[in-house]
Amino acid sequence: MLNGLFARLRELSPEERPAFGQLINDARGELEKLLAERENQIKVQSWEKQSGALQMDITLPGITFERGGFHPLTIMRNRIDEVFLSMGFEIAEGLDIEDEFHNFDALNTPADHPSRNLADTFYLDNGKLLRTQTSTVQIRVMESFPPPIRIISPGRCYRNDKPDPSHSPVFHQVEALVVDKGISMADLQDTLQAFATIMFGSKVRSRIRPHFFPFTEPSAEIDISCVSCQGSGCRVCKHSGWLEMGGAGMVDPAVFSIVGIDPEVYTGFAFGLGIERIAMLKYNIPDMRILFENDIRMLRQFRGESL
Amino acid sequence: MKISYQWLRQYIDLPESIDELKHALTFSGIEVEGMESIPALPDSVVSCRIISAEKLEGSDHLHVCMIDAGDGGELHQVVCGAPNCHSGMIGVLALPGTQLKDVLIKKAKLRGVESAGMLCSERELGISDNHAGIIELADDTPIGISVNALYDLPDTIFELEITPNRSDLLGYFGIVRDLSASLNKALKLPPLPQIEAVASETHGLKLVLDEPELCPRYTARLIRNVRVSDSPQWLKNALIKSGLRPINNIVDITNYVMLVTGHPLHAFDYHKLAKQDPSDPHPAIVVRKAYAKEPFAALDGKDYVLDGEELVIADGEKASAIAGVIGGRDSAITDQTTAIILESAAFHPGSIRKTAYKHKISTDSSYRFERHLCDFTPPHVSALAIMYILELAGGEVTNELYDAYPKPWQAQYLALRPCRFEQIIGYKMPEAQITTYLEKLGLKFLQYGDFQPGMLSDPDKIYCFHGEQVKAGITEFSPRDECVHALYFSVPPYRVDLTREVDLIEELARLDGYDKVPQKTPVSLIMDRHAYRIRKLIAAHFRDCGVFETLGYSFMDPQQLAQLGFEEEELAHDLIRLINPQSSNQSVLRVSLIPQLLNTLSYNINHGERDLKLMEMAKLYIRTGDSHVEPLRLTALFTGKMASEHWKAPNENLGFYHIKGVLESLFTALQLENCLAQPAKKLAYLLPSDSLEFSSNGVFCARMGRINPARAEAFGIDTTSLKQDIWLIDVDVEALITLTRANHRVFNVLPKHPAVVRDLSFLISNEVSWTDIQAAIMSIDPALIQKVGIFDEYRGKQVPEGFRSISLHIFMQDQEKTLTDERVDQLIVSTIKVLQDTWGAKMR
Repeated sequence: MLNGLFARLRELSPEERPAFGQLINDARGELEKLLAERENQIKVQSWEKQSGALQMDITLPGITFERGGFHPLTIMRNRIDEVFLSMGFEIAEGLDIEDEFHNFDALNTPADHPSRNLADTFYLDNGKLLRTQTSTVQIRVMESFPPPIRIISPGRCYRNDKPDPSHSPVFHQVEALVVDKGISMADLQDTLQAFATIMFGSKVRSRIRPHFFPFTEPSAEIDISCVSCQGSGCRVCKHSGWLEMGGAGMVDPAVFSIVGIDPEVYTGFAFGLGIERIAMLKYNIPDMRILFENDIRMLRQFRGESL
Repeated sequence: MKISYQWLRQYIDLPESIDELKHALTFSGIEVEGMESIPALPDSVVSCRIISAEKLEGSDHLHVCMIDAGDGGELHQVVCGAPNCHSGMIGVLALPGTQLKDVLIKKAKLRGVESAGMLCSERELGISDNHAGIIELADDTPIGISVNALYDLPDTIFELEITPNRSDLLGYFGIVRDLSASLNKALKLPPLPQIEAVASETHGLKLVLDEPELCPRYTARLIRNVRVSDSPQWLKNALIKSGLRPINNIVDITNYVMLVTGHPLHAFDYHKLAKQDPSDPHPAIVVRKAYAKEPFAALDGKDYVLDGEELVIADGEKASAIAGVIGGRDSAITDQTTAIILESAAFHPGSIRKTAYKHKISTDSSYRFERHLCDFTPPHVSALAIMYILELAGGEVTNELYDAYPKPWQAQYLALRPCRFEQIIGYKMPEAQITTYLEKLGLKFLQYGDFQPGMLSDPDKIYCFHGEQVKAGITEFSPRDECVHALYFSVPPYRVDLTREVDLIEELARLDGYDKVPQKTPVSLIMDRHAYRIRKLIAAHFRDCGVFETLGYSFMDPQQLAQLGFEEEELAHDLIRLINPQSSNQSVLRVSLIPQLLNTLSYNINHGERDLKLMEMAKLYIRTGDSHVEPLRLTALFTGKMASEHWKAPNENLGFYHIKGVLESLFTALQLENCLAQPAKKLAYLLPSDSLEFSSNGVFCARMGRINPARAEAFGIDTTSLKQDIWLIDVDVEALITLTRANHRVFNVLPKHPAVVRDLSFLISNEVSWTDIQAAIMSIDPALIQKVGIFDEYRGKQVPEGFRSISLHIFMQDQEKTLTDERVDQLIVSTIKVLQDTWGAKMR
């Protein structure tokens, strides 16, 4: 029909022809567009009909790609790493097998201190020992690197404790050390609160209370408000409202002197936290021994945890 | 914005080196986007007069010109095709032998006519992009002089990016003022001219400002008896170098003064302006909003319809200009113009921006008015333009300045605390230095006082209480109070961007140079980030392959090592023993992760689990003479089904190729595709037939194999009744960290030409390994054959004993061009020949 119209253009005057020609062209364009749309619509409907005929049982399970998972202590360690890395800390790991100097002497531990006993510390046949805390790394770092220093040292530690619900001869710690001009206990408070907030949520408060460690002065124990009852008192926190998390303090000038840092110029803080303790609180794990049994049913529960 | 080096140095002593000037501009915050150097031209390029220009017969555009080049000799005959070529004009001639950029001018014959030289356009000389015609110099230009003198060559044109806050930098004066502060050089600015006006009864102007919000100030001057003509050459050249076209002396002067001061001007033909009311004695300028649908004929030759939001400069009847954006055709300056109205005004930047955007007009004027120009300077800008007009076009200034300025500028004062500078920038700047810098920028030191934030218009409100309070015995100051001592400065009107203390601090830091900002000692970098990442990547790879991580004590039972087949004497010098172990099965430090993983496997099998993939990534503790090392190791055990049970997907037991694949995909992720797999040396706990060792560049990095069922039995695992194998992967994490340390990923440009895939099937002896087949095919043309992949291996019926059938894909691709069918066929023929000749393969 449109072609017929084109043929009849000749009947028009030369002035009228361009306008009518344009009109016919526009009409053809419009028709072609409508036809294409309709054709596509029919195809879409035909596919929909075919798919309806399949009668699939959509409740049958899908084909999954089996995922493995990390151990909850690794997940916790990675999270702690992430928190401190984002705060500009470096990670330093050091060796598990250490000498008495780095594990005790350099940390200002008296020669007759009970922690040096065979009943507390594992000694090895090569004259060394298994580190009882990762503070050894702090000494190693301060010996080798000038301030400012901002590190955490996560890793395995060893104490001659029989395994029970809250003890293990092998356990994991993360220690933090900050040395710079003008570092005060306020910076320690600040860092602990930031850590508690990121790990346990914005409702959790941290506090420090007086204690004694040979390598810090003043020394403190770290508490956080109970993650289970938010401080009102429950079984988890033994009705105190607070949970003990680890030790902290300002680096003892004696320790600075041993590693050759001028305590009049630099100050610093350090703290140490138990990774098992954090994981148990976070995941509600009642017994530390569960963490070292490696029961696949336990491991599967943490498959979905990130990191 | 384009700035000429030669022009700039008229106002200030500049460093001789262009790069030094570029550095000074860049580090005072004026970004140099581009630089174009215009080299000096050879002496054989001279001004000349075209004595005659005759049309060349048989050509519609060529002229034969006779040219006087001022050399006293004969006239030069040159054939020229430019449309504007005419007799009597003064142009630029490049004599034969001149090298112009890439072109050597030679004597030549054009259509049989001798041509000795070339009449040049601006583009041919490299002065501008203009190539519409040949250069036409002013009539009074001497003939035979070097063009370098005319155009001030050599020169460098700087393309500057002026940040939107710095409207004061939109002209030469502003740029040199800033440079005088950063280079510490004196300014050589011309003094402001005094304008003498003559009062007139017959001539005058009615100025009506209806929109004081959109136009804070409007000034106009009336100049009579001007002679509109061409501009002199110096003025034309100045505009050309800044990328503007010369039009006539009046328009050129307004443009020139805009380039110099940064403040645009506009000139109207006085006699084209209508009265507002027939009874008015004089024509009117009305600053108002456009009427809805008001038509406007603009200077760019286009007709616009205004919507009523635009600010216009109208006469008594209709819009004569879109304020600050573009002038109108009807009131434009022409050769017939004898009296002009010179506008110098300030407009609301937002309104200008909106109008320019809406009508898609971008002019040198709108570019500047969009940036908040100061409303104090219009009369001074106007005076400078008038000085040039009187000089170049004559005429007389009629009546005093017409000035609508409802809210006149008031002096403003800002306080700056030296201690605050130190707090923000990190170092102390002496007060004398502060004052020197700021005064170079046009600020004036007023007095000391206690700090008050923001602009202060009344200097009597500056107090100095600090000292008195101490005297009165009040000694408690908060830390903020300790930083109250301030210097008060008056801010010049053209620095509309300086409104807060911190703005002054920025100026000082910028002028002193950001390189003076001290760097604090950085924290010691201790961490081996590469090792940390690779370790995580390896662990995550196994996790993604379905493996669960376990953690064991660092101790082990030496007995279990013996059960795995380790000879105890062999280990004696490796093992580190505890002096006080808790029990004999925890008496040595681990030298292998296998025993504990087998224990864990056994524990879980006893709890009814069959399909297990377990790993541990931990340190081993190995004695090395008097010392010891603690290398990181990843060990994994696999047993049972490949995936969990499913009703639809086939699920086979894990086998050799699954385990090999786990390692191969790890090596791919680590970019260690060159890892070589070889049969493993015999190990007591692995079966010899299907264990492999992997190495890269000769460095051992991993091992895999099947645990000897008899060894597993010692750990309480009965593989025979379970009917499943236990597979082992042992990864030397330290080796992988070292091997990947030099890895550097680079993007390879994606191939533009399609790949061709061909399949081949053939029978081949079982003795020939896949690796050998692959290598043989790849070597046929390593550039074209990208990959050889196997998609089937078959042994059994229809295949003779000792043989197997192999089916493979060959991927071919040329980086340069599309592969032809012929080339592909050739490659396949060569492949078949190699397989037949080397191994007697039979094609299927």
